[in-house]
Amino acid sequence: MGAQPAAEPDRAAMSAKRVTPELQQEIEQFLYHESRVLDERRYEQWYELLADDLHYFMPTRYNRMRRESDKEFSAPGEAALFDEDKQSIAQRIRRLNTGMAWAEDPPSRTRHMVSNVVIRSRGDGEYEADCYYLLYRSRLEREVEIFVGMRHDVLRRSANPAGFQIARRTIILDQTVLLARNLSFFF
Amino acid sequence: MKTDSTSNGRGRLSSEMLRGLVDEKTGTLDPRIYHDREIYELELERIFTRSWLYLCHESQLKKAGDFFSTYMAEDPVLVVRQKDGSVRAFLNQCRHRGMRICRADCGNARAFTCSYHGWGYDIAGNLASVPHEQDGYRNEIDKSKWGPLPVPRIETYNGLVFGNWDKDAPNFRDYLGDMLWYTDGYFDRTAGGTEVIGGMHRWVLQCNWKFAAEQFCSDMYHADFSHLSALIARLPEGVDPSMGQMPTIGSQFSSRNGHGTGFFTDVNTLDEFNGPVAAAWYQGPHRAEAIRRLGEPRASQISAAHMTVFPTFSFLPGIQTLRVWHPRGPGEIEVWAWALADRDAPAEVKEAVRLGVLRTFSAGGIFEQDDGENWLEIQKVLRGHMARRQKLNVAMGLGHQQTNHPRFPGKINNVYAEEAARGFYRQWAQMISGEI
Ligand code: FES
Ligand SMILES: [Fe+2]
Repeated sequence: MGAQPAAEPDRAAMSAKRVTPELQQEIEQFLYHESRVLDERRYEQWYELLADDLHYFMPTRYNRMRRESDKEFSAPGEAALFDEDKQSIAQRIRRLNTGMAWAEDPPSRTRHMVSNVVIRSRGDGEYEADCYYLLYRSRLEREVEIFVGMRHDVLRRSANPAGFQIARRTIILDQTVLLARNLSFFF
Repeated sequence: MKTDSTSNGRGRLSSEMLRGLVDEKTGTLDPRIYHDREIYELELERIFTRSWLYLCHESQLKKAGDFFSTYMAEDPVLVVRQKDGSVRAFLNQCRHRGMRICRADCGNARAFTCSYHGWGYDIAGNLASVPHEQDGYRNEIDKSKWGPLPVPRIETYNGLVFGNWDKDAPNFRDYLGDMLWYTDGYFDRTAGGTEVIGGMHRWVLQCNWKFAAEQFCSDMYHADFSHLSALIARLPEGVDPSMGQMPTIGSQFSSRNGHGTGFFTDVNTLDEFNGPVAAAWYQGPHRAEAIRRLGEPRASQISAAHMTVFPTFSFLPGIQTLRVWHPRGPGEIEVWAWALADRDAPAEVKEAVRLGVLRTFSAGGIFEQDDGENWLEIQKVLRGHMARRQKLNVAMGLGHQQTNHPRFPGKINNVYAEEAARGFYRQWAQMISGEI
């Protein structure tokens, strides 16, 4: 069990690498674009936004007394909701495309909202982009699930039309017992 | 403990009516068993207070004071490692006004203090201190009488800790009965034993607990249709999708006590479910030791198995997902699931098992997702009055069971059968009607 992955660095370190409004806007536009691609179920296109060394990670979370709050999240090597590389993401997309992935056939309707975007440059064309997300999912006749939390992305400048690739994504969900039938979509 | 029959012989839920909800002789089920609130309340009373229920794995409680908050059906229970190494469990309910004593999921504690008025309990579940004992209670409270309800029976079986509220229950091995030969084959394979990988998956499904428990008990049938997309997706790129077919030769076992398991006996690709690193271990040193300890056919001729110990403990040997289906009303469950690994396996094997399980059998797992979809939709359909009046079919392989299989003891049917489901529901009906 571990502490929150990717906690916010101190403000002094941040202001030293303040990003320009142009970069802020560019990265926000990238995140909006990515949301749109996912919500329109263009999975092949989304896959193109993933770096080859992708790590896509969503830890599990626990109620702990404050004195043990450094163990609130699962540590690396423990149970995670997602712990994916690009190949295992490809497998998930391959499944969705079989026409027999019943949990997504008929497909869910999702809407990925992102806000509170905070960007830090890591140099070498890499940026850390934290955001808060709200993911709405409607399924079949009347099922609704809402996921809220934080994403910590590492984005990398890329020659692709979107301008960036996702090299790391850590997804923090503000739930312990997952209040959802499954996670058959992407955050 | 023979339960007090609150509604036997009168009202809507007579013993006769309850027993008639399941007809294992013709292989039919009355769908009200999944929907009816009063039947559910009887399940809590007559099944879950008398059955052995999975609490946790010993490896979750490494040192004294380590605790794990779990449930026995809907009852919250604290399981705690004691100073003498034993494991105790007690109802997570303060005896003063009923507050939950501990609200953390797990951790280490030297004592537990109720957050309402501050009653303090030691890790064995004894009431140790009461605020204002002198000026409030005038020293008239007998603290020895006001500890939380202990779980009277705790037994550990190959690292798995089970509890039972019934102090007269048979011991756990006798409860397994004719299933023991199979569970030994799944859980007692190596001297080093097993451990659960840290952390767990917990999620909610809006369905009755019996859909899940029965499926893991008896249902190989759904696998190559429900899970076909996942079977295909896991094939290497470019391989013909027909290679995603399941193997075909295997057996299913139905226990006298409602447990069940099924498995394939021909060599099959599912042996490599968690990838080549795990397969090298499980088919190498692990299997060699299992052959010494268990011999065949249990060491290597049973594969891709599913199993349930009645009522709510399930495991997929080889795939290594271990879970309990906590009931949450007639139409909801919480799935609590872990990945089980050999304790002495190399770290890279444990990592392969961890990744394999989370990518296939967890809330986000590509196999698991499709199971829930089925159970949830059945549950919704059962809101319909007419839907609840249609008998459901659990007749596959009826009459084709045998008890003289050359390799497998007990009542055996084909791997594609509903023998174990009939046994599961027979046990359910006998318990809920007060027959046993
Ligand atoms: S309810 Fe626990 S101390 Fe009062
Ligand atoms: Fe399944």
